[in-house]
Amino acid sequence: MGDKPKGNPSAGDKPYDPLEAWRNMRDATLDAWSKAMIEAVNTEAYASATGAMLDASLSASAPFREALEKSMVQTLQMLNLPTRADFESLAERMTHLEMRLDDIDAKLDSLSRPARADASAPKRKSKPR
Amino acid sequence: MTGLHPATLAFGQAEEKLRRLTTALTTRAAIAQTPKQLIWTLNKAKLYRYVPVVPAEKRHHVPLLLVFALMNRPDILDLRPGHSFVEFMVNKGYDVYLLDWGCPGLEDRNLKFDDYTLEYLPRAIRKLKAISGSQEFSLLGWCIGAIITTSYAALRPDDGLRNLILLTAPLDFADKETITFAKWTDPRYFDVEKILAAFGNMPAGMIEYGAKALKPVENYVGNYLRLWDNLDNPYIVEAWHAMYTWVTDNIPMAGGAFRQLIVDLYQNNRLMQGTWELRGERVDVGRIRARLLTVIAEGDHITPACQSESIHQKTGSGDKELFRSPGGHIGIMAGSGASTKTWPHIDGWLGRRSA
Repeated sequence: MGDKPKGNPSAGDKPYDPLEAWRNMRDATLDAWSKAMIEAVNTEAYASATGAMLDASLSASAPFREALEKSMVQTLQMLNLPTRADFESLAERMTHLEMRLDDIDAKLDSLSRPARADASAPKRKSKPR
Repeated sequence: MTGLHPATLAFGQAEEKLRRLTTALTTRAAIAQTPKQLIWTLNKAKLYRYVPVVPAEKRHHVPLLLVFALMNRPDILDLRPGHSFVEFMVNKGYDVYLLDWGCPGLEDRNLKFDDYTLEYLPRAIRKLKAISGSQEFSLLGWCIGAIITTSYAALRPDDGLRNLILLTAPLDFADKETITFAKWTDPRYFDVEKILAAFGNMPAGMIEYGAKALKPVENYVGNYLRLWDNLDNPYIVEAWHAMYTWVTDNIPMAGGAFRQLIVDLYQNNRLMQGTWELRGERVDVGRIRARLLTVIAEGDHITPACQSESIHQKTGSGDKELFRSPGGHIGIMAGSGASTKTWPHIDGWLGRRSA
């Protein structure tokens, strides 16, 4: 990491690069293309076209997806195995448990804070009775 | 090396370039390397505390919590050693915490902004207060993270939030002509219910496509040409590799939150209109009293400046600043100029308000 960057000489001692003109032309073309594309994607026509494509693909795949899901649930239930819905319900219960634990943890934190403060405070000598 | 035949030398250089190219395109760079401790978890969310390097007596008194977007990993805040915002702030004496939302599974498809803002974030803050011993804290929200932190600041103004920093914050969706995403998600063309019925959550791949398609030539062609042109320079390749690792590691967005983002915000602009409700509470940005710094990226194509400016007219903060930084949505915090422009400005602003 301590080395100086290689292959990045200053402009003055830059060796002749026969491809530089071509590279400059390429960059200028890309720049123009990039600007045109940024304008193109920021149009209602593009939004409408991509929306239609997405809609078509989702509509076409929906019946297969639903059939697959239904048959998967039936198969898992037949085999007495948990389905995705069962796991989701478990995950929800786990999160609720975590929240309860988090609340208990916070209460312990608030209880131990004064105790820690007491422990670090200078002790007073008790008066003889 | 001088004794070698020029052809052998050229072959060796070409081989080295090919090795760098393959490494950059096919492996993951080591990112997010700043030492940290996990101090709290809830479901997929994790709260980290970065190990302080400045002695306690020299540190700023007010801890800083970083909140990133929901659909990307927060590693961009700690990209690579020597070029990390987190590392910079830790070295400047801040007690830095990071809330990582994690990767939602299908079981999380009903998670909404309500949950992130009023369940996860307040609990993480409660833990931060317990660990730091400070009842006051600063929040930095970036992109969608800024929507969450702004809503939290409006709904819980008395919770100890002293400073609020918003980076490239998409809060105002009124200008449909300038905001490309608003055009794409227009209800005439974009059926959010159909997508969520199919996938449950908004798939990471679709989010990545959406972000890249805003600048298609730059993202699909120019980016790779930049790597090709700079294969001789290991430092540029290293930076490119780290950024590529982060850019290609997207995560899905919970279905409930995505629905709110599209319907409530992009389509109906409810936050700025003052009609957005989280768990039955109206989010009134006029109730924000924390000191406010809004950072706008001048070349931002994802969140144009018009989305972040109007908060300054609506917020009730007495101390607010709008800072414009050259660069793009990510570039202002992770680009080559970040360490000389955006980071020092945030440090300067926050340092004076963290004593």
